[in-house]
Amino acid sequence: MEELLLALMIFAKTRTLAATTTWLSILLLISACGTRQVLVQGQFPTPVMDRVPITLGVWYEDEFSNHVFFDETKSKSEADWIVETGPAQVAMWNTLLAGMFENLVHIQARPSADSQSPLVDAILIPHVEELQYTLPSQTNVNVYEIWLRYRFEVVSTRGEAIAELSMTAYGKTPTAFLKNSEKAINLAAIMALRDAGAHFALNFSHEPALQQWLHQFGTTELD
Amino acid sequence: MLLSGCVTATVDEMVFNEPTAGIGNSTVVILGRRQASDQDTELSFVECVGKHISSRDKSIIVLGELDFIDALYPWFEPRTAPLRPTALKKLMQRRPVAQKMAELNTEYMIWINGNTERTHSMSSMSCTLSPAGGGCFGFSHWSDESNYEAVIWNFTDMAEVGRVSTNASGQSYMPAIFIPIPIIAPVKGTACNGIGDQLLKFLSAHY
Repeated sequence: MEELLLALMIFAKTRTLAATTTWLSILLLISACGTRQVLVQGQFPTPVMDRVPITLGVWYEDEFSNHVFFDETKSKSEADWIVETGPAQVAMWNTLLAGMFENLVHIQARPSADSQSPLVDAILIPHVEELQYTLPSQTNVNVYEIWLRYRFEVVSTRGEAIAELSMTAYGKTPTAFLKNSEKAINLAAIMALRDAGAHFALNFSHEPALQQWLHQFGTTELD
Repeated sequence: MLLSGCVTATVDEMVFNEPTAGIGNSTVVILGRRQASDQDTELSFVECVGKHISSRDKSIIVLGELDFIDALYPWFEPRTAPLRPTALKKLMQRRPVAQKMAELNTEYMIWINGNTERTHSMSSMSCTLSPAGGGCFGFSHWSDESNYEAVIWNFTDMAEVGRVSTNASGQSYMPAIFIPIPIIAPVKGTACNGIGDQLLKFLSAHY
């Protein structure tokens, strides 16, 4: 939209056929070959729930906390997309886990047999395995959508596996007037992150791989 | 200048247990159903119905949809929201949720399901831009259809107490002789007023 305004302003000043053609060509090039970049930003609410009575450690690997999705377009008429979800991922999971568990401890290194981890009952290591998106130009539906696929390692302080979980999340936002594609993708990503948090919060205690392990801490979860 | 097209609307109502003296000091929340990828009640429609009710009876406090969803995260997200009053009863067995609901003092929860779709569109308009100026010539027209249903849940009884549905359709036109002149049929607005009026009758002691 800014490019269009700029081109129209210059057009209004020049008003010659040659200049118009030149500026329209530039406008087409800008809109066709640009890279769209989104740094996902949003607020995440604290979950309203009984806290799981354990001290959970969380370790975000660099790949997770700096997660960037890059999609190079195969079409000349569409733009490349760079979607940075890392900071928003960390913000969402920090808020969610702090509200879900009795205590939350941020671990400074990946747990291993040699590591001196603080006194925690388990350590959660989240991974974003995949991110996919669709735009209205690809689907002919006025909706921006994002899918996320997560994998979670739950390990002991010595790095031994307790459980491994996987989960998908989905977020969408309809197009709206005065909302550009970047804002729409940001909103779809926020919705996907909220969905991920909701799914994790509701299912963590029900995961078969974790249920027995959690029983030792006296968890009594409603069905 | 914006001209208005014609809209046809019908409203159906089914009420089981209307509060005869209004809802008093309690609050109402209106929420959109969005649990399926092809199901997306517009936020703007939910907001429109809320404003319709609270602007006509100022004693009715309608909680903002997003504020309510945030206050009760993660229980009212598209994938986790209760689909039946029995699920709400189960949800209220969770102490933190029950506490938050008590703080919000919500007596009625109204779920709106539906959307407005473009059912038909045709255009034979062409616009030109040249150094000498520009303009549009031709004619466009399109049809929109709104279908919404509002289901009213009562918190005290944990039961459905009413159901209101509306459908509205209308055709918009846009002739253009140099300048396009839109003649828009306010389909969604009519549906909002229709469902809002019925909900107002249910909730208000003055209507």
